[in-house]
Amino acid sequence: METQKLPEDFDLEVYEALKYIIDPEVGINIVDLGLVYEVSLTEEGVLAVDLTLTTPGCPMSGTILTATEQILLKRFPSLDVKVNLVWSPPWSTEMITEEGMRQLEAKS
Amino acid sequence: MSAATTSNSPGKWVVLPHYAFAALAFVALSVLLLFSTDAFGGHYFHPKLLTLTHVAALGWATMLIFGALYQLLPVVLECRLYSEKLAVAAFAFLGVGSILLAWAFWNFELGWVLHVAACSLVIAFILFNINVAQTARKAPKWTVESDFIVTSAIWLLVTGLVGLLMAVNFTTPFLPVEHTHYLQLHAHIGMAGWFLLLIIGVGAKLIPMFLLAHHEDTKKLNWSYNLINAGLVLFIIDHLLFHTLLLPVYAALVVAGVALFLLYLREAAKTRQRQDIDLGMKQTFVALALLLLPLILVQVVSSRLALPQALLSSVYLVYGISVFLGFISALILGQTFKTLPFIVWMHAYEDYVGRFKTPLPKDIYSHALLRWQNISYLLGFILLVAGVLLGNEQVILAGAIGFTITSLLYTANVFHLLLHKAHDLKPFTYGNTKAA
Repeated sequence: METQKLPEDFDLEVYEALKYIIDPEVGINIVDLGLVYEVSLTEEGVLAVDLTLTTPGCPMSGTILTATEQILLKRFPSLDVKVNLVWSPPWSTEMITEEGMRQLEAKS
Repeated sequence: MSAATTSNSPGKWVVLPHYAFAALAFVALSVLLLFSTDAFGGHYFHPKLLTLTHVAALGWATMLIFGALYQLLPVVLECRLYSEKLAVAAFAFLGVGSILLAWAFWNFELGWVLHVAACSLVIAFILFNINVAQTARKAPKWTVESDFIVTSAIWLLVTGLVGLLMAVNFTTPFLPVEHTHYLQLHAHIGMAGWFLLLIIGVGAKLIPMFLLAHHEDTKKLNWSYNLINAGLVLFIIDHLLFHTLLLPVYAALVVAGVALFLLYLREAAKTRQRQDIDLGMKQTFVALALLLLPLILVQVVSSRLALPQALLSSVYLVYGISVFLGFISALILGQTFKTLPFIVWMHAYEDYVGRFKTPLPKDIYSHALLRWQNISYLLGFILLVAGVLLGNEQVILAGAIGFTITSLLYTANVFHLLLHKAHDLKPFTYGNTKAA
């Protein structure tokens, strides 16, 4: 399946939609937590999202995957959505965005 | 894609009844404590103290650990729980066994009720062992945390079997030496083998996870595992066969193992990205600080010091209190509010996430109750220890009141969570998002 490059504003819209999903334990959204690795759109109109979790055994796996799928389907009803859970590279705290770090520091 | 197919979490009816039972057992424990102030003046082999210890160890701590572990085992071992049916059966046997054992000890009725209780508990431990071992076998990778957890389950079974032998020995004496000799064995295998190893195994994974800390070097944990088990095995062999004066050495091995675990946590904490320490984690750190008390006292009780008998008895009692009502209870009081809100939240909101604005786990319990719970606990614990050391029943009673208030606040908060239902959810309106 060939992947097409997303227009920049569409890419941003996807990330903005995913920011609605808050990691319930940490309390910041999954984009700023660095869980979303890649967003792509295939020629067949499949919006694919690669995301990871803070730990492989995370009990939130089902909830976050379902939430990601649900929110993107609602935001982009004309597209098919495919969410892939990936473990490589393993998530580390270095993947938290500057905004995520700011939010973590603001909570202290 | 549904949550059920991708999440390793077990059903809520497997996990939540353990929290409910444990909370009620904590209330029962505190109320029994109110009526046991006279028992702290003598030997630890006192019916009321045996009751308190077993309600604390089984109905409160082990029950809650079983429930939490069914939720956490998939997190630590990264695979689904082997059997939910075995977990429910183990809950039933543990519950029945704990209640019957408490009744038998309180009334010092050492006949068939005690035997049934002990058998029920051993069955619960066997079922638990099968579940843990079979789950561990499915784990994609074997880690030091797996070592800790699987070994702790085996020690729990050994503790139960020693207990069963002692229960039978009450009516059909067959053990070669006096009962308290085996009671020490039973208690130390339970404390170091079951509780300590299990708590370290789970804590080593969860505490850094809650702090958003990444610490990969597990060398200290490996040594911690080896030292604690070596200390325990050597203690058992010596206690059963040789009766040397080397007990402080074995105790030192266990203490060194715990110290390495604490150093591991300290190193992990240095890398933490999360600066906000909530009340649950604060209470967890209080528990880790309280752990120092039994670590010091284990040296005293194993050294056979020539202290006055009354003082020695008090030290033994404070040692037991510092383990069950100190470290373990403090840890549970804190970690309940790190795990339970999350579990309840997951079951209440997993179908709504991404479609509706949902609260966070920290929003579904009372922080005020938790704050007062932590304060009354610490006051109750300090008063109880002081009362036992001073031999003052009034101070012991004040401590018991502190524990009773703690248990009521804790149970109110736990049931507030258990009865939580999702309501008044508002659909997302895009374009106005803010991270919590």
